[in-house]
Amino acid sequence: MATSQYDAIVIGGGHNGLVAAAYLARAGKKVVVLERRHLVGGATVTEEIIPGFKFTEFSYVVSLLRPEIIRELKLPEHGLKILPLPSTFIPMDDGDYLGMWDDHDLTRREIYRFSSKDAEAYDEYSLRMARLAKAIKPILSIIPPDPASLHPRDLFGLLKLGQFAASLTEKELYGLAKIMTQSAADMLEEWFETPAVLGTKSASGIIGTFLGPRSPSTAYVLLHHYMGEIDGAFRAWGFAKGGTGGIAEAIASSARAFGAEIRLNANAQQVIVKNGRAVGVALENGDEVYGKVVLSSADPFVTFLKLVEAKYLPEDLIESIKKFRTRGSSGKVNLALSELPNFTALPGEGPLHRGAISISPSIDYIERAYDDAKYGRFARQPYVDMIVPSMIDPDMAPPGKHVMSCFVQYAPYDIEGGWDDTKREAFGETVISTIERYAPNIRRAIIGKQVLTPADIESIAGITGGNIFHGELLLHQLFFMRPATQWSSFRTPIHGYYLAGSGAHPGGGIMGAPGKLAAETVLKDGI
Amino acid sequence: MKAYDILIIGAGHNGLTAAAYLARQGKKVLVLERRAIVGGTVVTESFGDGFTVDSVLTGGMLRPDIVRDLKLSLPETKEKPAFISLQPDGKHLILNAESIKRFSEKDARRWPEFVRFMDKCAHILDVAYSTIMPPLPKGFSFKEGYGLMELGLELRLAGRKDMLNFIRAIPMTAQELVEEYFESEIVKAAIASIAVHGLTLGPMEAGTGYTLIHNWLNRGGMSHVHVGKAGEITNALANGVRSFGGEIRTETEVTKICVENQVAKSIALASGEEIFAEKILSSADPKHTFLKLVGPMELPPEFVWNVQSIKMRGSSAKVHLLVNDVKVTGLSPLPATFVVAPSVKYLEKAYDAAKYHDISEKPYLEITTSGNVVSIHFQYAPYQLKDKSWDAERETVENLAINTLTEYFPNLKSSIKKIKTITPKDLEETYGLTEGDLNHGQLMLDQFMFMRPVPGWSNHKTPIDNLYLCGSGVHGGGGVSGAAGRNASKVVLSNR
Repeated sequence: MATSQYDAIVIGGGHNGLVAAAYLARAGKKVVVLERRHLVGGATVTEEIIPGFKFTEFSYVVSLLRPEIIRELKLPEHGLKILPLPSTFIPMDDGDYLGMWDDHDLTRREIYRFSSKDAEAYDEYSLRMARLAKAIKPILSIIPPDPASLHPRDLFGLLKLGQFAASLTEKELYGLAKIMTQSAADMLEEWFETPAVLGTKSASGIIGTFLGPRSPSTAYVLLHHYMGEIDGAFRAWGFAKGGTGGIAEAIASSARAFGAEIRLNANAQQVIVKNGRAVGVALENGDEVYGKVVLSSADPFVTFLKLVEAKYLPEDLIESIKKFRTRGSSGKVNLALSELPNFTALPGEGPLHRGAISISPSIDYIERAYDDAKYGRFARQPYVDMIVPSMIDPDMAPPGKHVMSCFVQYAPYDIEGGWDDTKREAFGETVISTIERYAPNIRRAIIGKQVLTPADIESIAGITGGNIFHGELLLHQLFFMRPATQWSSFRTPIHGYYLAGSGAHPGGGIMGAPGKLAAETVLKDGI
Repeated sequence: MKAYDILIIGAGHNGLTAAAYLARQGKKVLVLERRAIVGGTVVTESFGDGFTVDSVLTGGMLRPDIVRDLKLSLPETKEKPAFISLQPDGKHLILNAESIKRFSEKDARRWPEFVRFMDKCAHILDVAYSTIMPPLPKGFSFKEGYGLMELGLELRLAGRKDMLNFIRAIPMTAQELVEEYFESEIVKAAIASIAVHGLTLGPMEAGTGYTLIHNWLNRGGMSHVHVGKAGEITNALANGVRSFGGEIRTETEVTKICVENQVAKSIALASGEEIFAEKILSSADPKHTFLKLVGPMELPPEFVWNVQSIKMRGSSAKVHLLVNDVKVTGLSPLPATFVVAPSVKYLEKAYDAAKYHDISEKPYLEITTSGNVVSIHFQYAPYQLKDKSWDAERETVENLAINTLTEYFPNLKSSIKKIKTITPKDLEETYGLTEGDLNHGQLMLDQFMFMRPVPGWSNHKTPIDNLYLCGSGVHGGGGVSGAAGRNASKVVLSNR
């Protein structure tokens, strides 16, 4: 017999695993989290890769974290502090720039420099997107019903869904239907004409997605990024004090306070199944941990194809998971800098360094970057989204020095010939020379760098394919089809085994919703 | 004084179908056609010396129930011609289990299952197209919703697995869909080619799962039937209209739909004549109908904005050749539908050019032959070219098409007697297709079902009373089925 017996075992100490654990512990359950690495966070970590310089290694900004999670888990009491990231600065090829500043009117005036039509449209557009984001919000907390099932639970779910649809105005309903199916480019071109406005806005439609801004269904990804709210303000982005690792630490601290146990360096190898029930987890070091239920916050591929033996799953599901698209499309370049990047378009230190800096001069620029990736190479002229965390939180770097986080797209996981050191180096070089075009001092400012390819994201954070969303946000991979039809309810064919990661509804980003919904499902089923 | 009950703008297959159904119910119907011949895009024209071709669309089929209802005499489909993917080494792929086996045994085994699944999907889509799509959700009445319930039932009857797979397939990319079944690149590309046929999307774009099913439905599989005989369909429909007492006037261009207080009263002709009628149906595309014929001033601003946002973007050109004889390397089975689609990447790269408003240097071609005529469907030739005009680019397309094809039809160049090229600009000017879009609006998921032609107006009605849409731009349209025309006639009749 096992020595330790838990109510619930959570595999993976990423933000979703921790959220699930915290909710279960909050309900009085005896919970243990098993984390493979030496620190919690998964892809939500801050690491001191170069002494004195703290890198927000993978994810770097926050917006989507559900407010009810922050509230219910009392995260601010556990150290969560979100600092505003108010602006976006877009340097352009002709030496000019576009600044979307902290102030709505200022931004409007800035857009006006390029197009009066766009400035006019900007208000209406912002309003409509906020309305759509608000309209779709209830969907985030619904457990998707199976439309082909006659189970009362699913029929009730469908009814609830119908009620939700009926509650929308005609405009909202059509707006949602359109945004679910459109390309980000088509949607934006209905509103704007300035290349830099279109470029930077369309970039939200491709993040974490192996599609270009002209590909249908990217408008939804754009909306997904609009759903974020900070203190009730939609579309607000922030930076967590201490980097994204600060978020994971806060959730972990909250979980511990509710009584959960978190075991680091505990690599789950296999879920132990007895009589069709998940009863525990075998670790790499030979230990076995027993519990009444097991939640996996790993991606669907790991959850279904690696952690459990195929014999316990129906063939249909195995097939579906094999087909589940989880193609990584992005990389990260984290830089330790001796000085701030100095942009030719707007020289000197300024507000631009406290916000996002985006190399996205036009839709075609990003689309061409995608063209490279779809034929198996990294973008020769990539989309780069940068922030300088040390300007927002001075503790991130030694005094006078800086860290810069560069999110880069596209870098395909399936690069021709596979990733190796030479390609990683070349990829890093491409990113630096791309930035150099706009900020020529960047090269001499670099003290140290960390280049992460999708293959690195896979090996370090354990996400199959290096896809930051645990599976692309494609229309056929959403809602009742996420991760597979019939299994969108966080349950799996194995009793007592649940999916609690971003591969479940409603998907990725530092949102926490899948972890929370999974915990609620476990509690509903009863332990 | 109303001279007619119904006026129909455009004598294409949908306009004629609507006309025939309405005339059959005893309405006094007049169809007005700008060109000298009826048919619209479903037309067989002669360019002299026996150079007779299906100028625009080839090989579609009217819905069998329309043929039955209207008692049309159309040739029966005997055997389906072969669908052949041309290969440089002369070892062409014929899409049947036996030939697929030479490329992959596994693919050959999966082929029948794929055909079964596609037929099933096409059937569901067919039911969807024959349903008049009510606007959602306001104004949703039981009468209108009834069709939707039938559609829902049809989905359930497909069985759990097929139903879910159908829903899944619609937003997918054609590439993903074919990859779920096949491993041979050649087999995958051949099938993916029909997903992009007539569209401005590549096989790696989301929503081409839907267009694969759409074109599969429209063709009744992969290959085209009745090549060189498209005009028979519309001629039979025109005869049908006349047999029920309807009138058709050719060489009669409608320049304006006259509206008074949001009600359509009459139409004005290029000749200056004005014709009054109870009801007006336009089979022209929605952009032409609302922005040119009605005019933005008569319409609500939001509606105008939505119409302006309809994506037309044609990117197909046609190169018709009259030749001495047709020889294909290593093949004799003619007639057939041939494609130049060596890989999925090749198709996608051809599409990439269109994204940046260039003509594909390595185009996707679909070739049909009939007698001494070789018809080449060329993609992508975008309507809007970057820094170039179509007047100067006609030859570019001609040369690209002929040079690409010469690799497979070795004696082609020396055997050409006559060339007739139709550019997207010609499609607009001669055949009245805004931006040369063969489907009166791209077949994309944001222009699908209750979003077609614009949100809120999928049921053939318009913000103008007594004005209806019956062309391919509405739900049910795209292809030669006639569903849009028939559905529109039902709406008109039930409205009385």
